[in-house]
Amino acid sequence: MAANDKVNKAETAKEEPASPILIQMGIFAAILFVSSLISPLFPASFPVPTPVIGLILLYVLLATHIVKLRNVEKFGDFMISLIAFLFVPSGIQLAASLDILKAQGVQIVIVVLIATIVLLVVVAYTTAGFIWIRKNVFHRDVNIDD
Amino acid sequence: MIILTETTPHMAVWGKWLGDALGTNAAGASAGNALFGIFLSLLVYLIGQWLFKIGKGFFLFQPLFVGMVLGIFILYLMAKAFGTDTATFYKSAYLPGGNIIFWFLNPATIAFAIPLYRRNDVVKKFWLEIVLSLIVGLFVSLFVIYFAAKLIGLDKVGIASMLPQAATTAIAMPIATAIGGNSAVTAMACILNAVIIYALGDWLVKFFRINHDPVGAGLGLGTAGHTVGSAKAVQLGSIQGSMASIAVVVISIVVDIVVPSFAKLMGLM
Repeated sequence: MAANDKVNKAETAKEEPASPILIQMGIFAAILFVSSLISPLFPASFPVPTPVIGLILLYVLLATHIVKLRNVEKFGDFMISLIAFLFVPSGIQLAASLDILKAQGVQIVIVVLIATIVLLVVVAYTTAGFIWIRKNVFHRDVNIDD
Repeated sequence: MIILTETTPHMAVWGKWLGDALGTNAAGASAGNALFGIFLSLLVYLIGQWLFKIGKGFFLFQPLFVGMVLGIFILYLMAKAFGTDTATFYKSAYLPGGNIIFWFLNPATIAFAIPLYRRNDVVKKFWLEIVLSLIVGLFVSLFVIYFAAKLIGLDKVGIASMLPQAATTAIAMPIATAIGGNSAVTAMACILNAVIIYALGDWLVKFFRINHDPVGAGLGLGTAGHTVGSAKAVQLGSIQGSMASIAVVVISIVVDIVVPSFAKLMGLM
């Protein structure tokens, strides 16, 4: 088990060269394409969008070692570093909803602010609670190596 | 602005030229020039980065927040100058370019499988705690959000629009419609979640002492701030990054199941 868990460190330690960036993009494109074929199979009452399926697919491919970290790491880390910029059009999209904001705008923004903080704090402390139960009620190991 | 008033032939030519370039003229409206949207997005974000740097990291100068406010303001001014309303001008001039940048959220979202897999040891060890925490955490949060919205005076539609916001936009919007909310308001909530976490995340994590438990910090950031929260979590550490990435996926599926039941329970539908 321990050997299996350390798989990532072993992979980086081997220092195989990273795949060329076009191959990395190709892997992302292939996963997105397959995900876009799977997404419509879910019923309208239980929507699962393409990128969420893609995230699960890429994780499964990595966990089964079909795709190695060095095949996707460089492009993936670059995309993650861009995420705040990629969100700018979504932010500016609010320009199309200014009329909604005029009606109940202040109340909505306040509720969203409260909701964001509540989700962050409640989920974080619920997790801490469950980990406390794991440790003190079931006496199971809770240590994580860094 | 004078360029569109067509007082002289010279000015009319300039107005037509600018309108064609922006895709706001009747003829060019469907085609639309994507370059303006891309340029404006980059410009406002880079101004945000610059302000953040000279403002020594003042939270209101976070590039995403500045980019959003400045971008909307510029579109508002330009719409006034072109004599149209902001929503129409946004659709014809900004949206074609904005959509191209927006598309890249697809590969960026699936890229979070990488930080998730990097700490697969934590996922394997705590998978049960992760799933339970997200289900219970969401349920508790829904009660708080419901009563907060009621107290602040949102109507039934407004309250229903606030409930699905923990999921990513593409899941939250159809659920909002299904439980009698307004999907445009829900989309706005999802976007604001990300902007709020991006601007206040570091401060909130410190203030509520969340980082004592890296697993909880990651799950909280991924739930509250979606992929932008995950990017924040990656900066805090590999465990947080991995947990936030798994939260984005699991919470979306949990919202799919829990929120319609909660809405029924509260008599919203």
